[in-house]
Amino acid sequence: MTAFITPNYLLALPEIMLAGLACVFLLVGVFTGNRSTVPLTFASVGAMAIALGLVLAMDGARETSFGGMFVTDTFTTFMKCLVLIGAGATLVMGLGYVKREQMSRFEFPILILFATLGMLLMISANDLMALYVGIELQSLSLYIVAAFRRDAVRSTEAGLKYFVLGALSSGLLLYGSSMVYGFTGGTGFDAIAAGIKAYGPGNLPLGVLIGLVFIAAALAFKVSAVPFHMWTPDVYEGAPTPVTAFFSAAPKIAALALLLRVLLGPFGELASSWNQIILFISIASMAFAAFAAIGQRNIKRLLAYSSIGHVGYALVGLATATPEGVRGVLIYMALYMVMTVGTFGAVLAMRQKGQMVEEIADLAGLSKTNPAIAAVLGIFMFSMAGIPPFAGFFGKLYVFMAAVNSGLYGLAIAGVLSSAVGAYYYLRIVKLMYFDEPTEAFDRPVGREVMAVLVLSGIITALFFAYPAPILSGAQAAAAALFP
Amino acid sequence: MIIQTIVFYVLAAVTVGAGMAVIGSRNPVHSVLFLILAFFSSAGLFVLMGAEFVAMILIIVYVGAVAVLFLFVVMMLDVDFASLRAGFMQYLPIGSVIGAILLAELILVFASGSVDIKKPDAVAMPTPDPAQIANTEALGNILYTHYGYLFQIAGLILLVAMIGAIVLTHRARTGVRRQNIAEQVARRPKDVVRLTDVKPGEGATWKSD
Amino acid sequence: MGLAIAAVFLPLIGAAIAGLFGRVLGQRVAPLVTVAAMGTSAALGIITFIDVTFGGNPGKAFLFDWISSGTFQAAWAFRIDELTGVMMFVVTVVSFLVHVYSLGYMAHDEHKPRFFAYLSLFTFFMLALITADNLLQLYFGWEGVGLASYLLIGFWYKRPSANAAAIKAFVVNRVGDFGFGLGILAIYLSFGSIEYDVIFAKAPELAGQTFHFLSGEFDILEVSCILLFIGAMGKSAQFLLHTWLPDAMEGPTPVSALIHAATMVTAGVFMVARCSPLFEYAPTALSVVTFFGATTAIFAATIALTQNDIKRVIAYSTCSQLGYMFFACGVSAYQAGIFHLTTHAFFKALLFLGAGSVIHAMSNEQDMRRMGGIWKLIPLTYILMWIGNLALAGVPFFSGFFSKDIILESAFAAHTGLGEYAFWLGIIAAALTAFYSWRLLIMTFHGKPRADHHTMEHVHESPWVMTVPLIVLAIGAIVTGYLLLPMVGEHGGVFGASILVLEHHNALEAAHHSPFWVKALPTIMAVLGIGAAYFLYMARPDLPAKLAKALRPLYLFSFNKWYFDELYDFLFVRPAKYLGVGLWKRGDGGLIDGVGPDGIAGAAWTIAQRAVRLQTGYLYHYAFAMLVGVAAIVTWYLFASSP
Repeated sequence: MTAFITPNYLLALPEIMLAGLACVFLLVGVFTGNRSTVPLTFASVGAMAIALGLVLAMDGARETSFGGMFVTDTFTTFMKCLVLIGAGATLVMGLGYVKREQMSRFEFPILILFATLGMLLMISANDLMALYVGIELQSLSLYIVAAFRRDAVRSTEAGLKYFVLGALSSGLLLYGSSMVYGFTGGTGFDAIAAGIKAYGPGNLPLGVLIGLVFIAAALAFKVSAVPFHMWTPDVYEGAPTPVTAFFSAAPKIAALALLLRVLLGPFGELASSWNQIILFISIASMAFAAFAAIGQRNIKRLLAYSSIGHVGYALVGLATATPEGVRGVLIYMALYMVMTVGTFGAVLAMRQKGQMVEEIADLAGLSKTNPAIAAVLGIFMFSMAGIPPFAGFFGKLYVFMAAVNSGLYGLAIAGVLSSAVGAYYYLRIVKLMYFDEPTEAFDRPVGREVMAVLVLSGIITALFFAYPAPILSGAQAAAAALFP
Repeated sequence: MIIQTIVFYVLAAVTVGAGMAVIGSRNPVHSVLFLILAFFSSAGLFVLMGAEFVAMILIIVYVGAVAVLFLFVVMMLDVDFASLRAGFMQYLPIGSVIGAILLAELILVFASGSVDIKKPDAVAMPTPDPAQIANTEALGNILYTHYGYLFQIAGLILLVAMIGAIVLTHRARTGVRRQNIAEQVARRPKDVVRLTDVKPGEGATWKSD
Repeated sequence: MGLAIAAVFLPLIGAAIAGLFGRVLGQRVAPLVTVAAMGTSAALGIITFIDVTFGGNPGKAFLFDWISSGTFQAAWAFRIDELTGVMMFVVTVVSFLVHVYSLGYMAHDEHKPRFFAYLSLFTFFMLALITADNLLQLYFGWEGVGLASYLLIGFWYKRPSANAAAIKAFVVNRVGDFGFGLGILAIYLSFGSIEYDVIFAKAPELAGQTFHFLSGEFDILEVSCILLFIGAMGKSAQFLLHTWLPDAMEGPTPVSALIHAATMVTAGVFMVARCSPLFEYAPTALSVVTFFGATTAIFAATIALTQNDIKRVIAYSTCSQLGYMFFACGVSAYQAGIFHLTTHAFFKALLFLGAGSVIHAMSNEQDMRRMGGIWKLIPLTYILMWIGNLALAGVPFFSGFFSKDIILESAFAAHTGLGEYAFWLGIIAAALTAFYSWRLLIMTFHGKPRADHHTMEHVHESPWVMTVPLIVLAIGAIVTGYLLLPMVGEHGGVFGASILVLEHHNALEAAHHSPFWVKALPTIMAVLGIGAAYFLYMARPDLPAKLAKALRPLYLFSFNKWYFDELYDFLFVRPAKYLGVGLWKRGDGGLIDGVGPDGIAGAAWTIAQRAVRLQTGYLYHYAFAMLVGVAAIVTWYLFASSP
């Protein structure tokens, strides 16, 4: 037995701080009741902001703690920033909805806080067990917030479906982990890598690969890649809109970070094996999402398919298993997060006569009734469709470039074709907003928080090309951390 | 050693058989009972490996609490399990085909002879010698040191589960009278008692001030 | 030289001002600007004419390099020689008069600035055409006048017939221009240059040489010249490519006078004369020119006999007269052709503008059958039309007499088979010309008024802005024959080196020594034609109808313009339309759209519907899909990684 070393708690300071504050907020909430929802929401966002500051304050050199279960490096810094920003933005944005739609319960921001904590732990996981507990903390919180409107049938249905399928994926994950542990003799990522290396090339038992398949399948479920995506449209549609916004932004990034970390870290040696899974999943996601989204009438379902497609594009970069490709993935996810948060901001503004509306047809003629939101949503749609000079174009550019440079021409072609098909449904929204006769106008005011998030994300999306340096250099450094 | 091997296979067979019976039996009460059987035999397997603490926990928590709770729920809720299982046969063929394929493949993997687990030296945390240290103590030694991190997060997970259970099910009912001691103590007769002179033929009327 | 260049660009400036700032300047000022620019240009044109053509003072001016690509060089340069001088005189003067006339004629049109801008733009292109120093610049002007012609024919764009006529003119010209373009390319291919000087100097040595094309040997000069002539046929409405000209009468009458009588349609004649150093070495091409010219002369005259629209009669007459000019060129009497071009420009512009004046007076009535008996009401127009017709018919001492006589004499003096052909057809055409001219005069002005009472009440003489240009043109129609006779004088007239005639081709020299009966015959024929017209339409107005009945097939053949429109409709228009519709509906709509955009979109929609149906909403379906996914990947690994 190895001797116990006191862990370096400083490394996990943001997480410890979040956990502590979450417990404090919980106590405050319990004693003050639901009237403290709004202050607690802002307090939670504040906590996330402090965590963001602490994350950024780290120097980014690779360090581990808690017996090697917890790791920080430039990659975790980048990903944690994305998660915290996404979580904070969606939390702020949803405040108006929470207040209006009888969701004003103090547990909501606290559960989001716990979910965010789970994501941070996932990103920093350096051990299959740490990975698992991180995922569970995150998932459990998400199951609950998905069903948060417990009196709405669709919300509870969403929560239940998510829970059951999530349990199944956890089962797959644990099964895969046990196989990997059995064949390599370790749960720590470094130990697994060492175990795989010890077999030497050509002698690797199939069990490791099968274990890897199960783990990858479980993680693919978390990022909602085809064919593990089936929960996404139903959950996105059923969950309350702020929750959906949160789902599409933060957990996806955390899960993708985990996928990158697991595949490139302990299983980096097996890149030539797993990149075929990723290749398949990527093409399937891009193509399936592009076609399935065309038939949607509900904007949240549409965005669910859109997010499936985007994950497919991001995985194009992972399939290359090169620093360039990973950099593409990170840029893609960063830009995707901005676009999707903004788009959901626009969805949150879809309110007619005091009722939330979710049909795509309700957007008809928005350019006449609310030109500002129509313009911003138009930018997001063009960007998601990958039309220059908007941010989404560059995201696609970097991953496709990486694919081409790695000789994955078929993948790049499949991606370009899918984005051509996908452009249809994005541009259909633009067409609806700008060329169709207006229906009912949306209620005003839209709300300061929503407008702030909309404008900010709109600016980033529209003007990314002018000053891309922060995201590019951050992604570059983060990708380098995965290729020591 | 031979006895241990025999016991292992017996217990393992019972576990698998009970597990299949859980999903196979028509009566849900039987299912739960088979579940309890599966827990018991698993506990036996743990004992066989020298992990008597885990074995006891399994019995106390899963059998004593969870499974019994299941039993109550199954018996108290009038769930029509027959209708739930109506579609079962419809999907059985294709489901069993996929299951069979997966099973065959896994058997293939383990039977391919490439299983070469480099134990015990490669195992991170080998079971300590029971003669040296008690099982519970050994568990405690690593649970709060090496695995303290996981232990803490597991605690958080349970906390979240608790919050979730409350959020999703607890309702503040209206119209329920609750005892409020402070209010009771603060009551004064002059606030609540009024003497009224009732005239004949009119009856008493309550007029709030 | 500078004056000539100024004359070229002044109309462009006028057009730019009127076209771009027409709204700002207003209805009155914008036309006046173009008229002023055009007037100045005309004055400069006359000075250039006298200085260059009669003073024998040709010159060249280089402006700037236009295209310089490898060995291909094209400069923007002006070649002001004797030939150009004559043309400048004709173009600027007639254009100026038409501008002035239009001030009156278009007075009530609300798009005057646009009209005058087009008119001036046309003049600029025409001047660019005639002053060109290379074939590309010529082509620039050539296409430019085509464009202006298109714009002006379709000026009243709200009339479907005007649009159809404009498109027809453009498309038919395209056929000719295609040949013309090929001719220029052929010349560049063989000569390595498109500069006139270079080409003309090299022509003698290339005479008789051949080039290889599609397993055939072709004579360089013959082929190039015939191709160039195809261009001329289109632009000058020669037989086979003439169908657009009558329809072009849909444009305002001043346009007909300027473009479709005096200037643009004569560009073909000018081009042949300009390229005389090439044509002289291509005897076959000259024969082709002669043949088509003579055929057109008689062909158009026969059609003019029976037409009832006053402008169409004059249009066919123009066509016929252009035929004269071409066969003059065909027998190497280029000078005679240009001479006729000049005189024709005046009297034909006079006739058109006179017809315009009549139409103006008759409240926009163009059908001669609804005119008559108005000579006392508009005596000035009547007299001017007489002068124009006398000149056209070639009555002695009017300008047409001199120019037509010299052409016919040259054809006779050429002493070739085709020369004889041209001569006799020309003689017959002369009689027909006189006949239809007087038919026109008599039907329009004499007899009983056939217009309704209301129209007759409003018959009035045109305002002075319209009559003064007519008077000037009438003077031109009388005197140009005399004054410009030196153009066809001894030793190549005044043209100096600008027109090359080989020694053994010198029909013009010989023409001066032709027998008397040859000189007298055209006049006799003209008088006969006039007499016949007088007899049929004045003395016995009942006869023409009977005659038409008696000779019904012939009458119908003439009246229906030899059925050319029907023939072309059958041969080209319909097949092209069927082909176009077929390609559009089946090729484009069915095949490209069907398989391409529509097909892909439809397929995408179908796939989308299937993809949507996959999402059943049942939990166990979802879970099953996940497990199938895992099983599939595991299976794939087992088979992919096991050797």
